[in-house]
Amino acid sequence: MSAEYLDKLQAAILEGEEDDAAQAARDALEAGIAPIQLINDGIQKPLEKIGKDFENGECFLPELILSGDAARAATDIIMPKLTAGERADGLHGTAVIGVVSGDLHDIGKNIVGAFLAAQGLKVIDLGCDVSPKRFVDTVAEQQARFIVISTLLTTSRPFYRQIVDTLKARGLRDKTYVLVGGGPVTPAWAREVGADAYGRDAKDAVACCRELLTSGVQSPLAEPLIVNALQSKA
Amino acid sequence: MHQKPDIVEILRRTNSGEYCAVKEWDVKRIPRTVRAMLKKYGLEKVLNPEEPVNTDMELADTFFKAGFELALELGMLCEPTERIVKISEDELRSTLKHAPSQLELGFGKDKRVMKSRTPSDPYPMMFGASLGITISEDVWPYYIEGIVRQKEVDLLEGGSLVSVFGLDVMPGTPSETLLGYVQGRRHRELRKQGGREGMPGIGNISAVTEFGQFCYGTKGGFYNNDLSLILFPSELKVNNQTLHKVVHTLAMDGLVFAGSPAMIGGMPGPAEGAVLSCIACALLQYAVLQASVGGGEIYDIRYLSNVNREGLWALSATHQALSRNTHILTHGIANEVSGPGTEEFLYEILVGVAVIAASGASFSTGPRAAGGKLQDYITPLECRFCAEVGHAASGMDLAKVAELAKHFLPKYEAKIKDPDIGKPIQEVWDLRNFKPTPEYHAIYQRVKQEAIDFGVPMDPF
Repeated sequence: MSAEYLDKLQAAILEGEEDDAAQAARDALEAGIAPIQLINDGIQKPLEKIGKDFENGECFLPELILSGDAARAATDIIMPKLTAGERADGLHGTAVIGVVSGDLHDIGKNIVGAFLAAQGLKVIDLGCDVSPKRFVDTVAEQQARFIVISTLLTTSRPFYRQIVDTLKARGLRDKTYVLVGGGPVTPAWAREVGADAYGRDAKDAVACCRELLTSGVQSPLAEPLIVNALQSKA
Repeated sequence: MHQKPDIVEILRRTNSGEYCAVKEWDVKRIPRTVRAMLKKYGLEKVLNPEEPVNTDMELADTFFKAGFELALELGMLCEPTERIVKISEDELRSTLKHAPSQLELGFGKDKRVMKSRTPSDPYPMMFGASLGITISEDVWPYYIEGIVRQKEVDLLEGGSLVSVFGLDVMPGTPSETLLGYVQGRRHRELRKQGGREGMPGIGNISAVTEFGQFCYGTKGGFYNNDLSLILFPSELKVNNQTLHKVVHTLAMDGLVFAGSPAMIGGMPGPAEGAVLSCIACALLQYAVLQASVGGGEIYDIRYLSNVNREGLWALSATHQALSRNTHILTHGIANEVSGPGTEEFLYEILVGVAVIAASGASFSTGPRAAGGKLQDYITPLECRFCAEVGHAASGMDLAKVAELAKHFLPKYEAKIKDPDIGKPIQEVWDLRNFKPTPEYHAIYQRVKQEAIDFGVPMDPF
């Protein structure tokens, strides 16, 4: 009985069908399937599969993005039904994500956003060429727990420091975890700008958010959390 | 009659073309159209990773036909207005017919002539160094002069300054405008100081937005017969920054050098789809961006590299397709991931640049030391090696280059995902005396000798 509903949800996510995924989530809840089971088996499993397929060159970015959207649609319906204890085990809160000023490369940011949303975070995607002021304004308005900063351009990296400095100046730095990533961003750069975490890809970003929330460590961290780091000297 | 749409008409179309939301374009319109075109022309799953260089010219020509049709079917999306800039078949054919097939760049004894090439063409592919690797302000002039002193390097391009007068450069702010003028002026001075005043240049590698490009063609900055580097945001898309740079370059009577990589694993899907997208981009940029030069860059999104099997194959098929079916001046990049002081970096250069050169590209720029991630991780020695390989491999038979790829790939491919980043310039290059450390020079000599022994006709030491 539950297998049928889970199969439908998994299929909708794998096919990137947002409306079907939302409907499958509603149907499964009405049929009495536990929300936590839907999250773990109905959403996480197909996302893990599509992530592996992407790494192996068996599926591509459009599928990844559409599956992320479908997962987010289902998650939006399931999350309110979780108990407080169950919610605490998953990712929760708001993440503001964007590509910094001057940079219009959004592929990496899109992948990270899709993964975070699929894990239960409310993701506010500011897009590309986002000024430090807009990042920080949005963090303030949304009371965001995470700010996730990306770029592909070495020449746009100085904006990371400006974002962190602006968070400090506006009294928001201890309320927000700062995650950094992107092609030219390294663990050393994360340290230099005073970020809380560095990740090389979307899976790292999820792992960082999970670790930060689970540990409950206060931001800003003295030393950034580094997942899957480049060689230490970098 | 010349039917190429001029820039005024292009700007008009950015506001009047068919509406398409960016997300619709990215995740539906591009992938679906590419998939349909691959199917129509029988190009699905033609890549065999055991053969990392294409040697089937009939296949290359089929890719060209499909890529040409894709260009007409899709056009380019203007991101800020979400309007599609379509180009008609007559316009595209006319544009390609009237595109330059050769350019005289630089002046005096340092002048170079860039020519349209075909696969295995003995006319040497030109090489420009380096890409926009960030360089600290105190090191930058020595690094730039170091490149100028490598006589094998045809054009001077980068790296990118991270600060000027101690001020961090922030794209889109006045610090970027200042950077542009400083870099333009210093490029002139350093070319002269290095003994090659008339060396052709590319400007401005450090310009993220249009503000850093004002230095092109203006008094004291980059010359207007240097190439004006204009990257578009991603494949099959343009934006205001790109178009600002085009308008400025044309106003300076300059030369638009356009490009942006198609991504294997990205919107066009597999390597075969990326080849199609890359060909379509290359053709469209001559009509939409009024390019004189450019087109033919492909990376694998998983590694942001193209010296792996899929990347090399895609590069070879793309450049063969373009060079056999047009006379445009195409450009390719070998995107290395290892860093200075390592053998792997030189092997990656050898394979990547040889494939591009023998496949018919008119010119190439590089290298992308350590994947371009790390400040000061590049030296003029690799720039020289790139140019040496590019010149020497130009006339090589494609079958021989395919053998070369298969021979040298095993020396680095296992490390592509976690490459050795090597050492910063200060540890492997004598900045003041413009030469590598003896240890790094020995590595260079060893790899170069291996290439010569394999049959790459490089000059001995």
